[in-house]
Amino acid sequence: MAVDRLFFYSIFGLGFGVYIFFKSFCTYREKKMIENTPTSKVRSLAMGRVEVYGNVVPDKNNVVKTPFSNQECVFCLWRIEEYKRSGKSSRWVIIKKGLKGGHFFIKDDTGIVLVDPNGARIEIPSSFQFETGIGKEPDKHIISFCEEIGLPHKGLIFNKKLKFIEQAIREDNKLYIMGYAGDNPYVEDGSAEKNEADIMIQKGNSSFYYISNKPEKEILKSYGLRLLGGLLGGGALIIVCLFYIFFYLRIL
Amino acid sequence: MVNLGIGLLVIVGVIVLLFVLGFFGILVGMYNSLIRLKNDIKKAWANIDVLLKQRSDELPKLVSSVKGYMKHEKTVLENLTKARTSLMNAKTIEEKAKADNIISGALKSLFAVAENYPNLKANENFMQLQKRISGIENELADRREFYNDAVNTFNIRIASFPDMIIAGMMGLREQDMFKVSEEDKKDVKIEF
Repeated sequence: MAVDRLFFYSIFGLGFGVYIFFKSFCTYREKKMIENTPTSKVRSLAMGRVEVYGNVVPDKNNVVKTPFSNQECVFCLWRIEEYKRSGKSSRWVIIKKGLKGGHFFIKDDTGIVLVDPNGARIEIPSSFQFETGIGKEPDKHIISFCEEIGLPHKGLIFNKKLKFIEQAIREDNKLYIMGYAGDNPYVEDGSAEKNEADIMIQKGNSSFYYISNKPEKEILKSYGLRLLGGLLGGGALIIVCLFYIFFYLRIL
Repeated sequence: MVNLGIGLLVIVGVIVLLFVLGFFGILVGMYNSLIRLKNDIKKAWANIDVLLKQRSDELPKLVSSVKGYMKHEKTVLENLTKARTSLMNAKTIEEKAKADNIISGALKSLFAVAENYPNLKANENFMQLQKRISGIENELADRREFYNDAVNTFNIRIASFPDMIIAGMMGLREQDMFKVSEEDKKDVKIEF
């Protein structure tokens, strides 16, 4: 029985190995894109693929409160995970996730430009994390948010073991953005006094829209590690799993 | 024994296949990114060209708005007009860069001289043109920097190993930066 399970894991591992091996080619493409695109000054942004680095300035009409910590932010990703057991193993599983907020501005030393973060791959650290369970009562904001989305936070007797995580973008956060500079739909064409006022950074038709709180150098370093891990780790996983599958099938 | 042979053969085959796929994938990635870089340079230059054109279009308006006031600064205005004509006739990046530098210098001088004409400074039309042209000048400076960054990245890539092999096969050559010569950096002399 134990051997059967290992065989099953090997098949799964083989598939996963192939996936991460080929996924690393996308990582390579993205790494090169970041590496090869010079950072633009906001003042002179041109339409098309752009890379900017600057501070977050909130759009007054788009300031929201984070769902769990009730802090002001311009954009927030949230998720709720539940601790689930199956047999001897247990793990955290995402049961709900979403986002709050909308546009914000990015300001560098030359100007300020509107950013629509929808559709972006956002890599920022979690700004809030709270775990409920036996003896760990959730805060009133968490309770009201759970009620709002129809998620019971209590089990039959005790609180469920849940994890509430927020990743918030706040005023003055430094952000790196690689996206598409397109027309700003909120400004009439030709009416803007400054070039950047008629531009909005968005997903547009670019396949790669990325927002991070790290500077370019650090992003490239983590991409490099991911690439190496993908190629070597994926390749090694494929070989190890194949060895086991053949061993199990008595081909080896 | 036969099974062992087949199994090992398959695994060695898979290892070789992974290497070949990895190698081929990286090769394709390199080729595509070099093509992208080459097009980025073209785009960066086109973005400069747009601004050069916009600034050129503003110059006749500027000259006509100031010539009534600056009757004694004929040379400044003539220099500007000449530089504009040479920019319009410029074909290569080098020629355009040279003409652009002359215009930038002439404009700097013109705006400096304008300080001596209070009536001109009070003219709203002139003020608007000055603001607009200064804005374009700043954008141009940024885009020149962007262009040079793009060219620099391209030149480094095609000279580095292993990209140089593919770049050589593609016939890619080093690109010129948007240079500002020391002579061109100097302001145009104005005689009062």
